[in-house]
Amino acid sequence: MTAVAVPMGAEATEPPERRGLARDGVRLMAVRPGSLTHARFSDLPGLLEPGDLVVVNTSATLPARLTARRADGTDVPVHVSTTLDDGTWVVEVRRPGDDGPETGLEPGAALALPGGVRLVLRTGFPDPTRPGRLWRAAADPAVAVPAYLARHGEPVRYRHLRGPLALDDVQNVYATEPGSAENASAGRPFTDRLLVRLLARGVPVVPLVLHAGVSSPELHEPPAPERYRVPEVTARLVTATRAAGRRVVAVGTTVTRALETVTGEDGVTRPGAGWTDLVLGPDRPARAVTGLVTGLHEPEASHLLLLEAVAGRDLVERAYAAAAGTYLWHEFGDSMLFLP
Amino acid sequence: MTSTAVITGASRGLGLALATELSQRGWRLVVDARDAGRLDSAVAGLPRPDLVTAVAGDVADPAHRAALAAAAGDSLDLLVNNASALGPTPLPPLADLPPAALEDLLRTNTVAPLALVQAVLPALRRAGGTVVSLSSDAAVEPYPGWGGYGASKAALDLLTAVLAVEDPALRVVAVDPGDMATDMHAAADPGADPADLAAPGDVARALLRLLDGDLPGARVRVGDLEVAR
Repeated sequence: MTAVAVPMGAEATEPPERRGLARDGVRLMAVRPGSLTHARFSDLPGLLEPGDLVVVNTSATLPARLTARRADGTDVPVHVSTTLDDGTWVVEVRRPGDDGPETGLEPGAALALPGGVRLVLRTGFPDPTRPGRLWRAAADPAVAVPAYLARHGEPVRYRHLRGPLALDDVQNVYATEPGSAENASAGRPFTDRLLVRLLARGVPVVPLVLHAGVSSPELHEPPAPERYRVPEVTARLVTATRAAGRRVVAVGTTVTRALETVTGEDGVTRPGAGWTDLVLGPDRPARAVTGLVTGLHEPEASHLLLLEAVAGRDLVERAYAAAAGTYLWHEFGDSMLFLP
Repeated sequence: MTSTAVITGASRGLGLALATELSQRGWRLVVDARDAGRLDSAVAGLPRPDLVTAVAGDVADPAHRAALAAAAGDSLDLLVNNASALGPTPLPPLADLPPAALEDLLRTNTVAPLALVQAVLPALRRAGGTVVSLSSDAAVEPYPGWGGYGASKAALDLLTAVLAVEDPALRVVAVDPGDMATDMHAAADPGADPADLAAPGDVARALLRLLDGDLPGARVRVGDLEVAR
């Protein structure tokens, strides 16, 4: 099975606040087997039922983009995707024009980073023998990465954006634990007030953490391994919500990836932490997640296959057909709510 | 070719009854309501939800009206201006009606219907379409407490009548549906027994029979039609 082909629509080139909208003023398309309703994100509480559960990713975004100088003197962006347990970094070196990852690099290549840090590329990541967009790299001297990025970095951005971003632009209101290279942007439209209205509706909101790596949208590759943690209370409520016949609504593909990683074939969701390389698709449909809030992103296969693993191909096709031309794409654009 | 209708205020009452009847006939529908959750549930219950575009929003919002017009497409057979505001309840005498509340009533009940007609006019003309605006006996009778709502509907009646003479290619009619068992009626007159009131479905069917034939004029009382029970 291949993913549906979707037409691109208009692009959101800046945060909705700069288009005169509140965060939760972006459009929200509610898609069910029997209906398709165009609404605003602030309408979300009324589209869910008491007893449904919303799961959010509370990973906070780091300013993970640095400017590095190559040996030939050229300045290029470097995106720090994550750090590994042994202290090495996983990075993507961008091309000088920032139109995609630099792929012609060799092991041992060195980059001069701000603050006198030297970064040496070691091996490919995740497969050390096949270097691609991501590299495992060592920093010298070793630095505490969150503090170093806070001092020298800026938010990762791609070329569809109109200009630089402030860190607040790429932070969700409930973000608490820095570690993501890119914002888990499905949660961006939530506001304090919207969260309170969900609680008052009888829809609990529970956290997990998945530190999202860089997406390298130009290459359409599946996501690399990412670090996650699903707390006991979240696992327990997910299992209980399913047992009660109510919906488990994941806010974004990062939440889906983490929840499905810790849900067994028995359908029970258990607490857990570690690295996940799970990729959902036709041969691994969703077990825990029965609803999904998501933005509209590059129509690359792995993203669509994840949507189809939760919502089914028919709903995904209908949603993208209805969105064509009228919904805004990318991390500051509009949203869809799949309720299969 | 499939006929298309835009119905405002379609999550409850007469709007939902009209949507149900037209969906049964296989029409393509564009419907709205302010409450997205209620609209979503209402659409899921229609006979042909696959032919329905539901857009949550307030008819008083120009951006929302533009979204409705865009969803209607190039050819529109029927526009039903049904969404209405009742104003403050219990219905206050005019001496106590806040001017801002009257402005809100006019915005929703008078200005929005005309603005929506304007937004879809090319599509209506292309199809030789019909505009139905829901009015009230309060538009012609001086009922205490109904001054604000009645004035907004009286103005809507006149806009309708003028549209009818200005644009003879269109069929334009204001309809007084009479007292129905709806949430709005219950808000206005909490003491009324719903069993004494017409069912919205019966009124919807009578209204559609009217539209199937020649219109008797620019204002119609459903009470003058035969409402089959």
